[in-house]
Amino acid sequence: MKCEECSDKLDRYVDRELTNTEALEIQLHLEGCPDCMEHYEFQSHLKRLVKHSCECDTAPKAFREKLRQILS
Amino acid sequence: MAEPAAQTAFAEEALTHLDTLYRGALRLTHDPDAAQDLVQEAYLRALRYQHSYQAGTNMKAWLFAIMRNLFWDRFKGSRKDDVSLDDVGEFVLYEKLRDEGARPEADVLDKIAASEVVSAVDKLPPLHREVVLLVDVEGFSYKDAAQTLGVPIGTVMSRLHRARQQLQKSLYDYARESGIVRPNGPTQVAQT
Repeated sequence: MKCEECSDKLDRYVDRELTNTEALEIQLHLEGCPDCMEHYEFQSHLKRLVKHSCECDTAPKAFREKLRQILS
Repeated sequence: MAEPAAQTAFAEEALTHLDTLYRGALRLTHDPDAAQDLVQEAYLRALRYQHSYQAGTNMKAWLFAIMRNLFWDRFKGSRKDDVSLDDVGEFVLYEKLRDEGARPEADVLDKIAASEVVSAVDKLPPLHREVVLLVDVEGFSYKDAAQTLGVPIGTVMSRLHRARQQLQKSLYDYARESGIVRPNGPTQVAQT
């Protein structure tokens, strides 16, 4: 696999949307290519950053209780 | 109407997804009160139509679909044409930082506050924002996201791609403006 192909599939690899065969091909390429591995780790880091940043918001307890009463 | 015990069980299971719905509503409306109204309405509608939910399928996706459809019906008047997203071209933050010599690139991400990331997500047009919320924040598969949004998987992928490009551009602009990355400056990421 060339770096360009790896780069094209990197988002889907990070999102775990590739087939097992495709994922294995990427994995093998990453193990032998420090540049692509660094790019992969950056994209994974970015995805985690978005997730953790937006996950800070949770439903207020009072709202949860209100809903529980409405729905029961 | 379902039996009381069945309704209680349904409500209990539905409430386990409250944080996901509230987060989504908050990111879509940008207003805590509006988000609570939207979520409450979504739960009431879900309860009313619980017979259409197939037990054992993805309740989180089903609830989110109800909530976002309400958002578009009530808050946006079903207009889904505000998809304008500035064409930032192929913007890959990693490559941009590498080209500018900001190393290690990941250190830049560690210096960006969560509030700035949320702000960058909030700046995305709603149709793009909701894809990021589903896939990146809530961990939906492309397939589940497509079903939730009522669009083909290809549309999920293209919206996600464009949203991420814009998101990375916003984070890069912030990093430049805040001095985390110094244009034409030292090759090291600025220390805070």
